[in-house]
Amino acid sequence: MSLLFKGRQSQNERAKKSFIAAGYFFILNIFRQGIHSLGEMWRTPMASMMTIAVLGLSLTLPATLYLVVKNVQQINSGFEEAAEISLFVKESMSEQETQTLVKRLALYPEVDKVTFISKQNALVEFKEVSGFGQALEYLDENPLPDVVLITPTSRHRQADSARALLEKLEKEREVDFGKLDIAWLERLNALLSLLKESVITIALLLLTSVTLIIGNTIRLSIMDKKEEIQVMKLVGATNTFIHAPFLWTGIWYGIIGGLFAFICVALMMWWLGSAVTEVAGVYQTHFDLIGLSVSEFGSLVLLATILGFVGSYLSVNRYIKEIEPDKV
Amino acid sequence: MINFQQVSKTYPGGHRALEKVSFHIRPGELAFLTGHSGAGKSTLLKLISLMERPSAGKVLINGVDLSAVKSRQIPYVRRDIGIIFQNHRLLERHTIFDNVALPLVIEGTHRKQIEKRVHGALDKVGLLDKVKCHPSTLSGGEQQRVGIARAIVNSPPLLLADEPTGNLDPELSMDILRLFEDFNKHGTTVLIATHDLGLISRMRYRSLTLKEGRMSQDPLAEASL
Repeated sequence: MSLLFKGRQSQNERAKKSFIAAGYFFILNIFRQGIHSLGEMWRTPMASMMTIAVLGLSLTLPATLYLVVKNVQQINSGFEEAAEISLFVKESMSEQETQTLVKRLALYPEVDKVTFISKQNALVEFKEVSGFGQALEYLDENPLPDVVLITPTSRHRQADSARALLEKLEKEREVDFGKLDIAWLERLNALLSLLKESVITIALLLLTSVTLIIGNTIRLSIMDKKEEIQVMKLVGATNTFIHAPFLWTGIWYGIIGGLFAFICVALMMWWLGSAVTEVAGVYQTHFDLIGLSVSEFGSLVLLATILGFVGSYLSVNRYIKEIEPDKV
Repeated sequence: MINFQQVSKTYPGGHRALEKVSFHIRPGELAFLTGHSGAGKSTLLKLISLMERPSAGKVLINGVDLSAVKSRQIPYVRRDIGIIFQNHRLLERHTIFDNVALPLVIEGTHRKQIEKRVHGALDKVGLLDKVKCHPSTLSGGEQQRVGIARAIVNSPPLLLADEPTGNLDPELSMDILRLFEDFNKHGTTVLIATHDLGLISRMRYRSLTLKEGRMSQDPLAEASL
């Protein structure tokens, strides 16, 4: 395409035969530029490595915090499953009525298991467990009510649905009141969501800093290549052509920084893994740390790549415009 | 080919570089642009290569009014104009080959074509053996010739040179002028800005003289009108 000389064609245009071939070369060219800017980074290994290390460490922190939340959630989900509802039967109910209640409760679709503890059994158990055995002898009558223990089906063990079930069960005529011990669970959940919120905040701050670091690195590299950019503009380079290598550099910083962060996280997991097993052993439980899954690894690198692109895009758009050949 | 119509250029701050300059260089012509430094030679060349825009008047190249060219289109205009600079403006970090290939790479020319044309251009300026060198290892005259090779590698119809012989001894200057003559014989329009009057007097080409921003009488130009 020539603006001034209608008949003049560039060498390239004469060679271009079809639209598809043009598209093919366009894409090929983009990747060639990508490889080229990777080579450029390789020419200054120390500077590139330091930038990558900074980015990698900035990404490691949010990734680690994410894993902390994920692992705590795993522990928490083990607790949530244990939700159990205790129903205290009214004292005025006869044994007959209590038995029909137990049968009726077993028919609830939300209920998995029903255990009946009569007041006599409860007293025996209480005497054994509490250590008040002697004192309890002095009581004239059994102060304990009949209790029905309800284990909800797995779908109804979450705090909210368990509470809904409790309300429903309390409406039974024979039931005095019910108890669902989820207060501590709610507290744990609240703490967990606080943790999540702070992780998100910290992650946002760190990701912003990653973008700014990349933007600044690209800005420095633009300043460093000022002369080159001027010459390229003078011999007819379009902005797209001049921008491409800088955008690619940003993208590479993102990709390699993301990989670096992944390696850091993996090393840390390996390092902490044995310590965690030891602690779990002391508490006579078994606990495995969960690392990053393949898709999470992918998201980490993708996120870093996007940040790299955004950071370099901001710099490129801002600073290359200012470099004009006449301002020597 | 190059047509200036009452062109004035005033820089911000009030410095008047050109005042109502009019001239016409026809296709296939070789012309010199002379004048003391500060007379407006560089400004005139900058107006042609769109590094600057005129404050008043019109610049036409091949009949196209440059004021109609949007800034997005400037790169495409520059691809039609080979520019040679006094300080050659080579990329120090790249080899001679890469330097000369730059205009072709920008156009997205195929690898094989690039190689062929770069070797052709370097052969014309007699530097084929320096393909793999870096600019800093070359002498001043050689660097200037690399700059020329870069300007002609995509065979532009128009060639501008800003003091191409500025720092060279007379013999080397003559060699370089011979090169321009040679390109001119192959149909390229050439405009050379220089203050080296001795050089011009030895050759019989038209010369335009700028004096404090104004174009002096140009007998040949009047004859052509």
